[in-house]
Amino acid sequence: MRFSASLRSLARHALPALTLLALALPASGALWLEGPQSTFETAGPVAKGQLQIFYVTLWVTTFLFVGTGAALAIATWKFRAKRDATTNAEPPPQGHGNPFVELGLTVGSIICLVFIAVPTLKGIKFGYDVPNGDTPGKLAALVEKGDAYRVTATGYQWWFQFDYPTEKIQGGGTLVTANELVIPAGKPVHVDIRTRDVIHSFWVPKLAGKVDMIPNRANHLWLQADEPGYYFGQCAEYCGDSHSVMKFRVIALAPAEFAKWLADQKKPARAAAPMAPAPATPAVGTMAILDMMGRDAMAPLSGTGDAREAFKAWQTRQQAVPEDNAKLALISDGRRLFKEKTCVNCHTVRGHEGAGVNAPDLTHIGSRSTIAAGLLENTEARLKDWLINPDHWKPSNKMFHGVGGSGEIVMAGYIKADDNKHPMMDASGQPVRNIALTSADVTALTAYLQSLK
Amino acid sequence: MADALVKSDFLPKEAHAPVKTGLLFARPTTKTGLVGWLTTVDHKKIGVLYAVFAIFFFLVGGIEALLIRTQLIVPNNHFIGAHTYGELFTMHGTTMIFLAVMPLNAAFFNLLIPLQIGARDVAFPRLNAFSLWVFVAGATIMNLGWFMPTGAPAVGWFGYAPLTSKVFTPDVSADLWAMGLQILGVSSIAASLNFIVTIINMRAPGLTMMRLPVFTWMALFTSFLLVLAMPAIAIALVEVIFDRHFGTMFFEVSRGGQPILWQHLFWVFGHPEVYILILPPMGYISEILPTFSRKPLFGYAVVVFSGATIGFIGFGVWSHHMFTTGLGAVATAAFSLATMAIAVPTGVKIFNWIGTLWGGSIQMRTPMLFSLGFIWMFMLGGFSGIMHSAAPADAQQQDTYFVIAHFHYVLIGGATFALLAAIHYWFPKFFGRMVNETWGKISFWVIFVGFNGTFFPMHFLGLNGMPRRTWTYDSNMEWNGLNMFCTISAYVLGIGIFIYFATVAWSYFKGEKVGNDPWDGRTLEWGIPSPPPEHNFSAIPTVRARDAWWHAKHNLEEAQRDTEAAIKVEAAQGGIHMPDQSWFPFFAGIGMFLAGLGFSNYFPPLTFTGIGLLVVSIYFWALEGPGGYHLHIDKNGNVTESHGH
Repeated sequence: MRFSASLRSLARHALPALTLLALALPASGALWLEGPQSTFETAGPVAKGQLQIFYVTLWVTTFLFVGTGAALAIATWKFRAKRDATTNAEPPPQGHGNPFVELGLTVGSIICLVFIAVPTLKGIKFGYDVPNGDTPGKLAALVEKGDAYRVTATGYQWWFQFDYPTEKIQGGGTLVTANELVIPAGKPVHVDIRTRDVIHSFWVPKLAGKVDMIPNRANHLWLQADEPGYYFGQCAEYCGDSHSVMKFRVIALAPAEFAKWLADQKKPARAAAPMAPAPATPAVGTMAILDMMGRDAMAPLSGTGDAREAFKAWQTRQQAVPEDNAKLALISDGRRLFKEKTCVNCHTVRGHEGAGVNAPDLTHIGSRSTIAAGLLENTEARLKDWLINPDHWKPSNKMFHGVGGSGEIVMAGYIKADDNKHPMMDASGQPVRNIALTSADVTALTAYLQSLK
Repeated sequence: MADALVKSDFLPKEAHAPVKTGLLFARPTTKTGLVGWLTTVDHKKIGVLYAVFAIFFFLVGGIEALLIRTQLIVPNNHFIGAHTYGELFTMHGTTMIFLAVMPLNAAFFNLLIPLQIGARDVAFPRLNAFSLWVFVAGATIMNLGWFMPTGAPAVGWFGYAPLTSKVFTPDVSADLWAMGLQILGVSSIAASLNFIVTIINMRAPGLTMMRLPVFTWMALFTSFLLVLAMPAIAIALVEVIFDRHFGTMFFEVSRGGQPILWQHLFWVFGHPEVYILILPPMGYISEILPTFSRKPLFGYAVVVFSGATIGFIGFGVWSHHMFTTGLGAVATAAFSLATMAIAVPTGVKIFNWIGTLWGGSIQMRTPMLFSLGFIWMFMLGGFSGIMHSAAPADAQQQDTYFVIAHFHYVLIGGATFALLAAIHYWFPKFFGRMVNETWGKISFWVIFVGFNGTFFPMHFLGLNGMPRRTWTYDSNMEWNGLNMFCTISAYVLGIGIFIYFATVAWSYFKGEKVGNDPWDGRTLEWGIPSPPPEHNFSAIPTVRARDAWWHAKHNLEEAQRDTEAAIKVEAAQGGIHMPDQSWFPFFAGIGMFLAGLGFSNYFPPLTFTGIGLLVVSIYFWALEGPGGYHLHIDKNGNVTESHGH
């Protein structure tokens, strides 16, 4: 027992360490397997089980590699021709093979594979659905009893929507959020996997391997975060230009904290001030696109990669902040712009004007740690960057390019696009704009969005 | 037997076929210059053309790869735009698979199969030329996007629906991709049928199947795989093309289409495709290792049958590319086990290669270095493949850099290393000059170091959560250092490849001249002059053992008797019949090109012009008659030609 435990611990620590030694550490000195999306630092039973199977495959193949590699190395060294060997030298004995060697090695490799096959089959069964919930009826019963939780994740180009079908909202409907999935810690969570357009994939490496979001196909996975924490996730199936910046977070909370979070989220958007008449805005502002030059491109866009710090920051963000009276006018101006600039056609801000369903729900955007699908940290500066030129951060995104070409406009974006989704240019070679934001507009919109806690 | 053949009533006694005249039916006879190359039906010239195009596209694909790596050298990089990046990885994958490795294998099929089986050409020389020109047509259409305002396709080499639909990719780039691929499929199927018929029907006397060189065996399996796998993707592509052009709804989600269907059809083709890429390289290795170990292949029959087994099981493992698509527990388990099973015949081959070395007298020439490199690298790629076969572990690896590392170990460390070995090994046979040995070895070590530096760290990147097809990544993900290391190593790999091909090009002009058999070879091609004459064999060889040329070298008197008997038979039949050249395969290729171009650009007049040219060319091709001339070889080996009546 002790022996096998220490063997397992050796497996867990020795091999990465050995490989670290085997190759020169690159200049940055980064720890190769300890990133925010490491599959080695598992935080739940599903990812843990998958990692254990990986270790089995690693050990079996390492054993095969050492054996075969040694034979190859010895053969190459031992039977190398002497320096003066020429084509005229007497050739070695012309042996054609040995059936017993062949048979022995074949049987040997089959035995090695059985070592992998057994845990693989067990793992497939374990990973299929929440324990004891592998039929719809059993699953419903578990959710009913509170032994499991159930959410739906839906992929869009290029963001994630999360539905909480069991969380009813006063006035109808159920809770919807975007890009940050909050779940109860220590409880199995069944995630229904859906998509609204192309194929995406739902992947939170520290919690579970990925499952693809495929149109017209009802997929699911299950995961569990053993401890409260902040976990990084990302789309793992190529889904178009901005695939690589389609990210999300999973935040696991202790039961009481989770209940409080749910209660907060179910409230409509906070009304910071009554709708005030629009204060005069400068008629001509500088085109905001010029504001974003000269920022350090190497700095992390989405904040710290340290999950512990990120979790603390997220928790702090949930706390109520005193009303900032100085900003009230700005916030109310932002709310007006949010309507005027047609943001409301696509975004929902529950309780305010927004009721669109084609873009992320922004009811409590101020409580999220990131914007633009996990791509940028939710700070005033980043929010401005995003609003000024979303196409720079998330190329081809619909907020900028819109949906629908020269025909019926399904969604009006910042610019007009032709049928090939290429920007239409005016006579001076500039893109034709649907929505133009001045610096002042951006400041007001940012204040409004940040007020939506 | 020779006397019986002389008397046989079933062999042609008539010296010359009737020659058709008239402008359209006069078959060209120019052997040199542009016309000579465009109208050639000689399998060696066609092979060289395949190789030249393949190496060109290999270098193009390599430049695309270096651009990809340059974009990833630092986090949050905007050196290349997201859309261009999508175009680059789509075309890199498509180019390397369909326009580089496959045609380079086709080049060796053309160059070697007739020589290894003691034949004067393939069974259908004009069909062979047709395959070549259709390949060129498909490759051109595929790459045209780079020169059009729409850009190259950016849907991934796997082209998953519904990203390829009109809704998500409205411009013609996806049409060019689908049509280009479809046309390449025509080329592959035509060529494969040709090789199957050639290998089965045109073997020299005494060359039983179990005496076939292993490379020819692998070529035969590969041809069968192509004929069986290509229709699956052809159907899938027809569905995409119909969805895009005629409003069908195979993959149209809003009308109940099933995008998952594309994945099944694609991988039913796509997994055998992996073996289509790797079986021929296993063949090169199985020829080169015995030569430089100076002993026969260990376990010939086992190597052959494991090749057949790989080809067979290869059709039953496709869903291991789809472990994350929600197949359900039973299907996932079945494909997991099948995938593990295919590791066994693959492993058996490696054991036999080691067995070949064992007890030999190993000469470390450049092809041998690449071959040994192949075994090591292919082993690593195979082992990471076994890791993927465990579906739960694969759920973490699928679509990450771990997979990129895995298949580049198979396709560069495996297929490409073997192809570089093969080019170096057979170059003297076809050009009469050795590739420089010193620079060859230098190129090997630079490539070896650059390759491992580029791809080994990607295992770690993948396990650390970096997804593939990533245009850029944030600097807080702990991926920065390794990415920079990979990119710098990729430049080293690029330099190595440059050294290799520069050496080959230099050797074409300045390499040391050699005779028939510079490596002390074992198979029939080493028994004829370098470069081989157009008719390959003055006397059709009589095969008395496996490794026929090795046997002949060690049984000279017997070989001499066989040669004399064979010359006698041929003289009695009026000499060696040689085919005339033809314009029509080339014209048919142009027709295919125009039709594909017109169709993918929604321009019916061009489509119909192209189809018309294709049909007319094939019709005239059938009518132009056999033509040809005869070669007569006297006792001293002097060749004279006789034409017409």
